[in-house]
Amino acid sequence: MTKTSWKRAAPLALGAVLLLSLPAAAQTPIKIGASLSLSGTYAQPGTYQKEGYELCADHVNAKGGLLGRKIEFVLYDDQSNPATGVRLYEKLITEDRVDAVMGPYSSPITEAVANVSEKYQKVLVSPLAATTSIFKKGRKYIFMVISPAEVYLEGLIDMAAKRGLKTVAVVNEDTLFTKASATGVVELAKKRGMQVVFQEAYPKGNTDFSALLTKLKAANPDVIAASTYFDDAVAITRQMKELNVNAKMYGVTVGGDLPKFYELLKQNAEYVYGATQWEPTLPYPGQKEFVESYQKKFNREPVYHSAAGYAGCLIYAEGVRRAGALDSDKVREQLLKLEMRTFFGDYKVEPDGFQLAHKMVMFQWQDGKKVTVWPDDLAGGKARVPTPPWNQR
Amino acid sequence: MNLVITPTMVGQVVISGLLAGSLYAMVALGLGLIFGVMRVLNVAHGPLLMLGAYTTFWLFHGFGLNPYLSLLASMPLLFVAGLLLQGLLVRRVVDAPELSSLLLTFGVSIAIVNLAHLGFSSDLRSVEYLTGSFLLGPFAFSKSRVVACLFALLITAGAFWFLQKTRLGKALRAVSQSREVAQVCGIDVQRIHMLAFGIASALAAAGGSLVAVMVAIQPEMGQVYTFKSFLVIVLGGAGNYPGALLGGLLLGLIEQLSSLFLTTQVNEAVAYVLLVLVLLVRPTGLLKGRAS
Repeated sequence: MTKTSWKRAAPLALGAVLLLSLPAAAQTPIKIGASLSLSGTYAQPGTYQKEGYELCADHVNAKGGLLGRKIEFVLYDDQSNPATGVRLYEKLITEDRVDAVMGPYSSPITEAVANVSEKYQKVLVSPLAATTSIFKKGRKYIFMVISPAEVYLEGLIDMAAKRGLKTVAVVNEDTLFTKASATGVVELAKKRGMQVVFQEAYPKGNTDFSALLTKLKAANPDVIAASTYFDDAVAITRQMKELNVNAKMYGVTVGGDLPKFYELLKQNAEYVYGATQWEPTLPYPGQKEFVESYQKKFNREPVYHSAAGYAGCLIYAEGVRRAGALDSDKVREQLLKLEMRTFFGDYKVEPDGFQLAHKMVMFQWQDGKKVTVWPDDLAGGKARVPTPPWNQR
Repeated sequence: MNLVITPTMVGQVVISGLLAGSLYAMVALGLGLIFGVMRVLNVAHGPLLMLGAYTTFWLFHGFGLNPYLSLLASMPLLFVAGLLLQGLLVRRVVDAPELSSLLLTFGVSIAIVNLAHLGFSSDLRSVEYLTGSFLLGPFAFSKSRVVACLFALLITAGAFWFLQKTRLGKALRAVSQSREVAQVCGIDVQRIHMLAFGIASALAAAGGSLVAVMVAIQPEMGQVYTFKSFLVIVLGGAGNYPGALLGGLLLGLIEQLSSLFLTTQVNEAVAYVLLVLVLLVRPTGLLKGRAS
């Protein structure tokens, strides 16, 4: 330890002694810091995540808090910008001196701020980062909550293989998450003995898929797996109808789960499969309580971003509770051992913090509703296979 | 996974290319008109198209108005907006160095897009009206795109008729050929400038209304049309109005064929490489534009 840090540590130690001797002062809340995308391109999911964090704090505090103290979030807006996120986590840890930090929204921002949390040896439970590589760089204190990009469309392939479908076409936007998810689909399909008859990427912001779909149509696949965000999922679905592209099953990664998807496409969204990390209808413990209190507090339906935020906070709190302290290494040890089932699903990680237990679910749009159709033990209905050709709907 | 490209596939993308191209031609004609008459490159052309699309969306959403009928609202509305833009702002930079007008319209473009974010939010909207396709043998003709193509051709033809046959149209072409001589002949150049900007904005609005039925509507949807239009008028020859038609169809075809034979990832690159080549080899465009 250097001289200066001793100077800083001495009053802290003194403060700690004083805190222990004064029961009233022990009531200072545990401050948990995070930056979230409250403006910019990720503003929508970022805001849902914020609400998840806030609701979690309410509930933990209502049950007596953590280590006998209340918890309190210190949240900043990173404007969907990784560089701003880095600056804010520096500030949270060094200036605001928060007791703990939680992850921001999205893979790119998590990737950036994880360097900061590692530097200061802070545990970073990251509820909304799905890109595998973030957790495979030898980082020690980062924990994954949701399923990785590669398995988003596992359900689509599994359902197709079980029904004896043989060929699959894969299309994806050529960015980090969608590429990883497309690579995952190709591997899963090969493992199940299916043949990938067409694969092509398209640039971000592409709106005309005519030529791509013309080629795809010529390959005549049984299954179309589209690794998308939202805009492209809508455009591809529309143009499939325009070009009369028919497949027995057609699924998308992100975007299909938003209510807006059906609002925009109306009955043309029927039969489309989508992947999601969570649905309010899944039969997990505590589901009803979460959904009801969320609706009551925020006046809107929770989406998986809200649920993941809340679950991430619960997981961290459980780690602290078991460690009996806020010390990073002790909490880390507990989080690595922890196996937990919440309303969000299962939690269990590899030694590098990579998520193993959480399961994606697949739904299908049926009569204007998302019906969970995979995996079987969580399914709320039966998949309507095959998708009828456009001219017979 | 080696895909063999069959004549049917080529035929299908040629259809898609021509359908898209006719729309590009109409929108680009507007950009070309302003450039021809004033030597101003209107970067806000695409955002004006976006406003046209929103006009169609709100009328459809609020009153259930047929999106094609909404052309009758979006075109006059944007015509007036164009007059105002010209009268209040662009007029001041017509004779200034070209950079000034570029900066001005760039600013206008950013302002329009951000106002749209504020006013309409960045949520995606759609006009779910004419989906699906007509099937003809192995070929699919997207309904909304076929109808859009017909309207685009009709409106483009109307614009050409106006330019060729009417006195005002002739005056407009006269100003575009030589402003001084036109002025000497008694043509009110300021008025012609306003008219050109108005017509150009109306053409952008028509593009927006037609596109609204085909793709999702959001505040950022327009900019790409500014660039496409720019490409079209360079290909066709700046200041050469029939050149816009050729350039538009050509751009549509290039985009689709390069996506077919190469990949979708490179189609824009191919189009812009072509732009550079045309500028290098034949700077006046394929149909000779008037060199400035």
